[in-house]
Parts: sequence; C-alpha cells; structure tokens
Amino acid sequence: MGIEFVTLVAAAPSTIEKPDQRDDETVAPDNPWVVLVWNDPINLMSYVTYVLQKLFGYSLQKATELMLDVHHKGKAVVSSGSREKAEMDVFRLHEHGLWATMQKDGANGKGSSE
Amino acid sequence: MIRRRREPVYRTSSGFVLNLDDDQRHLLRRLIGEVRELITTGSNDDAKTRRLFPPAYTDDEALDSEYQRLMREELVASRLSSISMVDEFLGATDGRAMSTAEVEAFASCLNAVRLILGTLLGVADDDEPNDPTSPDFALYQYLSWLVDSAVNALMTR
Repeated sequence: MGIEFVTLVAAAPSTIEKPDQRDDETVAPDNPWVVLVWNDPINLMSYVTYVLQKLFGYSLQKATELMLDVHHKGKAVVSSGSREKAEMDVFRLHEHGLWATMQKDGANGKGSSE
Repeated sequence: MIRRRREPVYRTSSGFVLNLDDDQRHLLRRLIGEVRELITTGSNDDAKTRRLFPPAYTDDEALDSEYQRLMREELVASRLSSISMVDEFLGATDGRAMSTAEVEAFASCLNAVRLILGTLLGVADDDEPNDPTSPDFALYQYLSWLVDSAVNALMTR
C-alpha cells in the first residue's frame, strides 16, 4: 500500500490536493448525525450488502466493506447528515429489518456503549 | 453459465422467476399472513415483534419515544404494503415473471419472518439456535436459503 501511494504521488506531482473529495468517507464535519448498523446474528451477509447498496447507492465493494465492518467490529457508520436525513435513513433500514440506530457524531461512535 | 440453475429465484431476460411449487407458495403465504396478524394486532412490546421495531435512539429515551410515536405506524404500513405485494404475487396463477420490486419485497418479507423466528429460537452469533433439531430451525434455514437466493438473483447482472 505505502509503495503504491508513493508511486502515485511521484507520477502526478502537479496534482492539487482536493480535501473535499473523500468519496469513501461517510462522515463529514458538517454532518452532525451518524447512522449506525449493528451486528445481529439473523440478517444474512448477502442481504445486508444488498440493502446498503440499494438504500445508499454504494458500490458492491463499499457495501461489502461496510457489511464486513458490521460483522467483525459489531457496527459501522453507514450514513450521516442532518437529524431529519438520519431519521429517514434509520427508518429505511428498519423497513428492511436491519438493526440501525442514530446518534450525534462523536457521541458514542467509538464503541464505548457496548 | 450453461447449466440451468435450480435456484428458487433466478433472473431471466424478461424478469425474475420464482421457482417454487404450490405447497411452498402456500406455506410462504401462511407465514407472511402470520406476520401481518402479529404487526396489526400485537402490542408494541410483544417479544415476537420487538426485533421488527428497533429503537432509533439508544441514548435518549425522549427522542426515541418521539420517533416511535411518529414513525411506528408508517413502518407498520410499509411492512403491510410489502406483505400485500408478495401475497398477491404468490397467489397469482398466471405464471408471470416477478419485478425487481416484488423480489425485493419477497426478500424483506421473508427476512421479517426470519427475524421473528430467529428471535424465538434464540439464534446467536454462530447462527445456531438453542435447539438445532427443532422443526422451526429447519424452517428458518429454508427461509435463509430463499432470501439468499433472492438477493443473489437481484445482484446478478
């Protein structure tokens, strides 16, 4: 990974840093609420991956990464935004039977609640 | 792929095929009918359906009760609408193909049955229930197979 990164930088010395283009980050500083999906023993891995793709438009790779985070780490942040948006996302996840909750970003996101 | 797949759900050029006989369709209609019954008549803190209505806020009771007050009815309505769609398809005798929306509803309705059954069976992290020989666990695994097949069909390009 490190070597690839150095090569990439060396090959494109004039590239301007674009701090806003962080496509694979789900949390931005101006999005105060985060939506978490929690691990549960019933929902199938394939089903969770599909639901994340369908609801959030994630690529198969991104949805799979999030699903594996949920599976191995117990939870993952799947979206963020205003309180209204987070409530709607939680609702849509509940419609599909996923175990989703929301909280203020940083409120408890490091896993101290479990 | 050359071999004809015998998956319960598969994609064709004209839509999705549900490859289940009448007995299986009848069983699924009965199961989702039971979910409809439970969510329309059950109480809010019925252990069977609790998993279908999780809290949105775990660290703020006031916010969560407000959320439940506003959204629970909508969640029930959404589930009933999916159940109706699937029930209608399963009861149809014209042999038509399933739409994407119908396959998605099929997966989420059967998943709702799994959530209820899995909770009752005490399915834990290793996907094994308290009593792996129970008929309900066989049913649970059958539903897992159907949901997985539906999702795989949806994900096939």
